[in-house]
Amino acid sequence: MTQQDLEAGVPHADVLEIYRRTVPFQAVPEILLGKIAHLGNSAFYAAGEIIYKTGDDANDICIIVSGRVEHELEPQAQARRPLKVLEAGDVFGWAALLSKYPRRLAKAICTEQAEVIRINGEKLLRVLETDPAAGDHVMSQFATMIARDYTVPGLGAMLRKIHRRIHAGDVQGMNLTLYRYQQWLKSPRPYLMVVGFTLFVGFWYLAVEVWKLPRFRDMPGITAVVKEWLNPDPAYGLSIYTPEYYKHIGVSIWRVTQAFFLATVLGVSVGLMLGWSKKFKEYVFPVFETLRPIPILAWVPLAIVMFVATESAVIYLTFLASFFATALNTMLGVESIDESYVRAACCLGAKRAQVFRHVIVPGALPFIFTGLQISVGVSWFSLVAAEMVSGQYGLGYVINTSYTMVRYPTIVIGMITLGFVGYITSAMVRAMGDHLMKWRTRELALGAQ
Amino acid sequence: MRNGKPPLIDSIYWRGAIAIVVFLLLWEMGSLSKVWIKWESFEWLRNTLTAMGFKPAYLPWVGAIPAPTEVLHAWQGVIRDPGYWQSWYMSLFRVMAGFIAAMLIGIPFGLLLAVSRTAHGVGFPVFEVLRPIPPLAWVPASIIFWPTQEMSIAFVTFLGAFYTIVINVVGGARAIDLRYFQAARSMGSSQRDIFWRIILPGTLPSIMVGSAVGMGITWEVVVAAEMISGGGSQIGGTSGGGLGFFIWNSYVGGSYEQIVVGMISIGIAGFLSSELLRWLGHRVTPWLRLR
Amino acid sequence: MAAAMQPEAAVSTTTRGAISIQDVVKIYDPHGAAVMAVDHCSLEISAGEICMVVGPSGCGKTTLLNAIAGFHEITSGRILLDGEVLCSTEKPKAEPGSDRIVVFQSGALFPWKTNLENVAFGPLVQGTLSRAEATEKALDVMADAGLSGVEHNFPGEISSGMRRRVEIVRALMNNPKVLLLDEPYRALDSLTKSVMHEALLEIYYKNKVTIFFITHDLEEAIFLGHKVAIMTTRPCRPKKILTVDIPHPRDYSVLTSRRFRELMEETNEAVHEEAIKAFAAGEKEG
Repeated sequence: MTQQDLEAGVPHADVLEIYRRTVPFQAVPEILLGKIAHLGNSAFYAAGEIIYKTGDDANDICIIVSGRVEHELEPQAQARRPLKVLEAGDVFGWAALLSKYPRRLAKAICTEQAEVIRINGEKLLRVLETDPAAGDHVMSQFATMIARDYTVPGLGAMLRKIHRRIHAGDVQGMNLTLYRYQQWLKSPRPYLMVVGFTLFVGFWYLAVEVWKLPRFRDMPGITAVVKEWLNPDPAYGLSIYTPEYYKHIGVSIWRVTQAFFLATVLGVSVGLMLGWSKKFKEYVFPVFETLRPIPILAWVPLAIVMFVATESAVIYLTFLASFFATALNTMLGVESIDESYVRAACCLGAKRAQVFRHVIVPGALPFIFTGLQISVGVSWFSLVAAEMVSGQYGLGYVINTSYTMVRYPTIVIGMITLGFVGYITSAMVRAMGDHLMKWRTRELALGAQ
Repeated sequence: MRNGKPPLIDSIYWRGAIAIVVFLLLWEMGSLSKVWIKWESFEWLRNTLTAMGFKPAYLPWVGAIPAPTEVLHAWQGVIRDPGYWQSWYMSLFRVMAGFIAAMLIGIPFGLLLAVSRTAHGVGFPVFEVLRPIPPLAWVPASIIFWPTQEMSIAFVTFLGAFYTIVINVVGGARAIDLRYFQAARSMGSSQRDIFWRIILPGTLPSIMVGSAVGMGITWEVVVAAEMISGGGSQIGGTSGGGLGFFIWNSYVGGSYEQIVVGMISIGIAGFLSSELLRWLGHRVTPWLRLR
Repeated sequence: MAAAMQPEAAVSTTTRGAISIQDVVKIYDPHGAAVMAVDHCSLEISAGEICMVVGPSGCGKTTLLNAIAGFHEITSGRILLDGEVLCSTEKPKAEPGSDRIVVFQSGALFPWKTNLENVAFGPLVQGTLSRAEATEKALDVMADAGLSGVEHNFPGEISSGMRRRVEIVRALMNNPKVLLLDEPYRALDSLTKSVMHEALLEIYYKNKVTIFFITHDLEEAIFLGHKVAIMTTRPCRPKKILTVDIPHPRDYSVLTSRRFRELMEETNEAVHEEAIKAFAAGEKEG
């Protein structure tokens, strides 16, 4: 492959023209056609010479440049018209591309002196795999040609499949990740990243602990934070060895999970209704829009009054933020669906409920997941606020009490933990979205190539 | 869209109006239920609710909220209080300060990340690591660091808008169609021209989007920071701590109607600032108006 | 080239799918200012005929298609399918149904379903076939149309020409009486287009359906159609109806034949005139 890539200059325009004239290679992109043309070898046959006979090994496909070839399919092929006279621009020898017949199905004899381009079938497949979309097209053209020109029914289905070399989605997803990782290591980016972090951490260390700059010297230093964090016997009572630490994390995650789940169920259903039913939107949306500008955090005191248990108040606040983000994005998602999908579904006989299930829901999915991404972010955002103001346990609570109790390193531990946990949850939502929208990830992966 | 027939424009309005009126009525009735309904006659309901963990005195949730009429009444009282308007002023001032700082630092930083590969490689990973930390988690650290509370609130507000603006600027600048650059080069533009005439206007729509989102977050952060820090600066006296503090103070003082007054005030303020921003965005991106 | 070589696969005949458009008027009235899109348009399409409707972009021909498909109301007149009233002045909107399937200009394969699921969609939602049966039939039909190999790909992964073919196959799965094509090959390059034309004819020879094909490409119209209706620009009404007397089955050699060139010459003037009118009226593309 690589060797051909190196050599692949632009073949002579006339040669390309010959390829383009043949049925399978019509409408093939220029670059791919150049690569294919590079595989071809010219061969000359005298009148009466046999190019191949039935049962021979089938390695090459052939394109006639000039002259005439008589092509006779064996009876087993069940062709409607086995005998065919081929002229310039015709393609034969397609048995080389079939998976079950690595041998010739026909006899090809030159009736007059002929020039033929021979292309190795195996190599052709490899080249087609470099551009799977165009490759599929070529193969389907072959299928059409076999069924139509050679009047052989059914053999088209036995054509070899184009394998996608790099493919997001399936098992090959791992390879893709690995491939991208290797590419990433080859680029300067990882080294720049190391520089960036070194600068950041170095500045923190120097400013706080070495130079003791004004203002900075009151801040917790990085060594103090790391020492505290990894200390089996922490000075301020919180490190990776204390069960308290995990309890706080657990409580925060559990609150976010409940709120997020509730907000997703309600937000997606309300959003779908808003987008799907005009009347519903006209009634509900104004109320929705009246409540939305009120910042979620302004609800804090009212939530404490409304709910007897602080726990429910915290969850309510977290829920509220996520709900608006999810509902709004879901509505936009439904409204973004191209009208022709709905019409196509109606044409094909889908009832209203089926249109909803097969068109509206999957069509809105990309927007819904954008909404869920935002929703996770804001739920952590409002959770922290709610936990800081009221509530016991939770990472927001840790940060706030550490301040009032003057346990400064613990503040930073809380912050970093929050960032980490928040990142993990949004990565999980993204992975979920990619899993549910394979069609989209694959499209994007192809576009990126 | 869905129907060939154009909808009657008024129907949208009266439907919306009906919905809001119904909403207010339900709210009024819900919150006045504690006066109207003789709870003694609904012993079984009260027992069930109590068993579920609700307060036996009134309907769950909505019963605890002051009624719209009461809120309106409280508002009439507050509107003559200069401290209330002082709160407006303080909150608006903090929002604007943080927001403008975020624009001034965020837009150049974002453009730098978008234009220079090296800057992107060095700066973006650190940025991405810091971003998931919610702005409010910075409040204590910010109070420790900055000399005055006012500055620490401004810093947290700044952070709130900064992340969204930067993300949008980087995304917007990277999404500019390559052909624009090729066209500009072929017409002999210098690097400088390309920056001022292509990258900047090309990024403008996403800057405006980022700002609109950032503005929303700014209000959230200001309100929360005011509540957490207990009013912030001493500039305006006890009632000059901003609308967030106004709400918190009303809560502590037990005047629940004022909580709702404060919430609605913040809603209005947030809405007005987003509208202002939208109007501005409309002005600076005239080529998008035709869509 | 191949179709002509197989006379035994001659054109089958059908008695289904005769469309009669009688005096149809469509007036849009979005903001009080009435715009007449279709003006007393009458057109007879016999069963199994390919009727090409040619006109400049935005002339109102899509409105006509939407009326037949049942997406839009008509203002007056009536449209019959095999003698049954689809829509009329009294009942302005036809019911969309699987006897009249539209292939859209921008393509409407569901991007979230694989090609196979797309093709099997119709019988499945109509409840005429079980999932297994629908899948099996879809596989057969796709293999028959030279689409083997892409069944489990999503539409976003294959070329646009292939997508169009999948879409036509999806329509034919429902055994429709009429296929309504709304400039389906507009976005394709001319090479792909030529391949698509032959593929469409081949599908047509196998499954006899009435085809109502909207285009603004006169060459395409004469090459494919039994009948070419050249429409005036807003309001839309047949300006000239041409019967293409080149026998089917046709192949690409038709394009260079003398009769083809004569027909082109005969109609080119009329189309060009309307194009100028449309351009002057400043109609937006679409």
